[in-house]
Amino acid sequence: MTQRPDAGRPPSVARRLLTLLLVPLGGLLLIALLFDYLVVVGPMRLAFDRSLADAAMVIAAYVHEGPGGRVTAELPRTVATQLALAQGSRPRYALYAADGQFVTGDPAVPGPPETGGAGFSFAMLDLGAAGRARVAWYRFQAESRSFGLAVAEPLDDREAATRPLVTATLTLDVLQMLAVIAFVLIGVRQGLRPLLAFRDELAGRSARELEPLDASRVPVEIEPLVTSLNALLTRARTSAEAQRKFVADAAHQLRTPLAGMQAQLELLERDAAALPVRARVSAVREGLKRLAHTAHQLLTLARAEGSATLERDFVPVDLPRLIEQTVTLHLDRALGKGIDLGAETAAVNVRGVEWLLRELVNNLVDNALNYTPAGGAVTLRCGPLGAGAFLEVEDDGPGIAPEERPRVLERFHRASGAPGTGSGLGLAIVSDIVTLHGAQFELRSGHGGRGTRARVEFRTPPPRGRP
Amino acid sequence: MRILIVEDDELVADALKRGLAEAGFAVDRVGSAEQAEAALATEEFDLALVDIGLPKADGLALLRKLRRAGRDLPVLILTARDGLADRVDALDLGADDYLTKPFELPEVAARCRALIRRTRSATSARLTIGTLTLDLKSRTAELNAQPLDVTRREWSILECLALDAGKVVRKEKLLRAIAAWDEELTPNAVEVYVSRLRAKLGEAVAIRTVRGLGYRLDDSAA
Repeated sequence: MTQRPDAGRPPSVARRLLTLLLVPLGGLLLIALLFDYLVVVGPMRLAFDRSLADAAMVIAAYVHEGPGGRVTAELPRTVATQLALAQGSRPRYALYAADGQFVTGDPAVPGPPETGGAGFSFAMLDLGAAGRARVAWYRFQAESRSFGLAVAEPLDDREAATRPLVTATLTLDVLQMLAVIAFVLIGVRQGLRPLLAFRDELAGRSARELEPLDASRVPVEIEPLVTSLNALLTRARTSAEAQRKFVADAAHQLRTPLAGMQAQLELLERDAAALPVRARVSAVREGLKRLAHTAHQLLTLARAEGSATLERDFVPVDLPRLIEQTVTLHLDRALGKGIDLGAETAAVNVRGVEWLLRELVNNLVDNALNYTPAGGAVTLRCGPLGAGAFLEVEDDGPGIAPEERPRVLERFHRASGAPGTGSGLGLAIVSDIVTLHGAQFELRSGHGGRGTRARVEFRTPPPRGRP
Repeated sequence: MRILIVEDDELVADALKRGLAEAGFAVDRVGSAEQAEAALATEEFDLALVDIGLPKADGLALLRKLRRAGRDLPVLILTARDGLADRVDALDLGADDYLTKPFELPEVAARCRALIRRTRSATSARLTIGTLTLDLKSRTAELNAQPLDVTRREWSILECLALDAGKVVRKEKLLRAIAAWDEELTPNAVEVYVSRLRAKLGEAVAIRTVRGLGYRLDDSAA
């Protein structure tokens, strides 16, 4: 579930939803911004122009032709102050004659264009040192002469007055849209939550948890999916149970006659007085013992298969106790062979299938006892290893050549010069059980380079899912 | 000592019967749980050897029935299955021990002897391992019918080992058994007492050291 989506794969539902919602919402924001800007700025420009026109009319009222034809446009102080208050700054203006000749006022303010009739016209102009300005031209008649009056208002002033309103409106737009986007993100995430919870439940299951999923706890859209999955799980569970039952039945059907024949031969061997008969019975009994051992190993191998174990088989296993029991089981054989069988344990638990771990240690000890000559020592150890645990069986026998180590794990492989009744399955079983428990297995040389040290490391906490 | 074998397989049952008879037990054999119930209702047995895979009612059902009826004779379960669940079931239901098929006859005899000895030590005060006899009440021991002179701590260790004869007894357990008299004992003290006991017991019974775990008392003759 954590891998990146492949190239040809449809995008995730979350991504699709977000794309489908956020792209149109972004476009909507741009349109809203433009619209609000125009709605706010248009009427304001109209209002400002009107007040500029008012100022022009006031100034025009003070145009006089003095004696000698000198035209003046001097504003009385009170009027100038009033205009300054209304406009935000002292108005700059210039009076031009009908032919465009500058008459009086501020020469930096340009006159009206040639075209255009009476009344008002407006333009944005760059007044050089005075900066950009809005200019209103007013053509009017005064004392039988035509004049053109130009009144300039610095744009800075206008903008200073307009900016707060524009800023407030647009900020509000953006904030509103951010809130909408936030709701979309939260909504998509919350909406997908049941789907993600279902995904997590599936991902958290191990391959051995075959119980059906609860279809009533998933959204109705994925209920058919859950139903199909449950049908599949039921089939898997049935086949796992069938395999368990088959192996258990096979165990009983194989072991009971083997046990009977073995015990009968044991008695026959004791009764047989004549030595040649006794030797033959002995040989048959040895063969039967080997057959029984192989049958047991094969059954163990069948049950160590991942599909034959269920999650409920995994329990905390006390390794020191397991080692103690194994040592007890093999003690007589070790004493009989003159091998010093011992343990060095530290308290530690692992999560595992107890009887399989028992088989694992049994097989390792069995091998060690097989290959260790009289007078040797076999030691079982266990203890904590980081968050996990280790378990090892060390002997001081002949050891296994490094190049032969990988091959001894193969089924039915017999080590060169292997003594006794081995089935060649022991280490294959160990390897399967180790895999089932998500552990690591390694064969090394023993202390001082002598013998064999078989080491199992349970590094990770309990295995989830098939290794 | 009388044993009831509950086993339907002729081959196994016959071998068990003869093998245990040779080991000195009085043996009766039945082939089903129903017959076993009838036999146990009328006769006294020291132990029942029960196969799990019986026809109709299986061995576990028989065991459950026996324990519900308050019968506490030791039961040794024979099983051809090796799954943990079966063994846990058997022990939970009150089985005293179990053996997995196939088995070796001497081991079956040894287990039967150990189980009977353990049950008897709980009811009677005398415990016998080979030629060694312990009187748990008077806390005295006899070897070859001669009184054996042991100190109180040596006695405690011997008693502990004898109660679990044939099984490994952890060193810590032995230490706890003698610590009651002296709080400052170290595990080395156990070794000292065990070696003294070995000297006193001679060849008759053996106290074997199991490196890293503890000791095991064995009847040398068995």
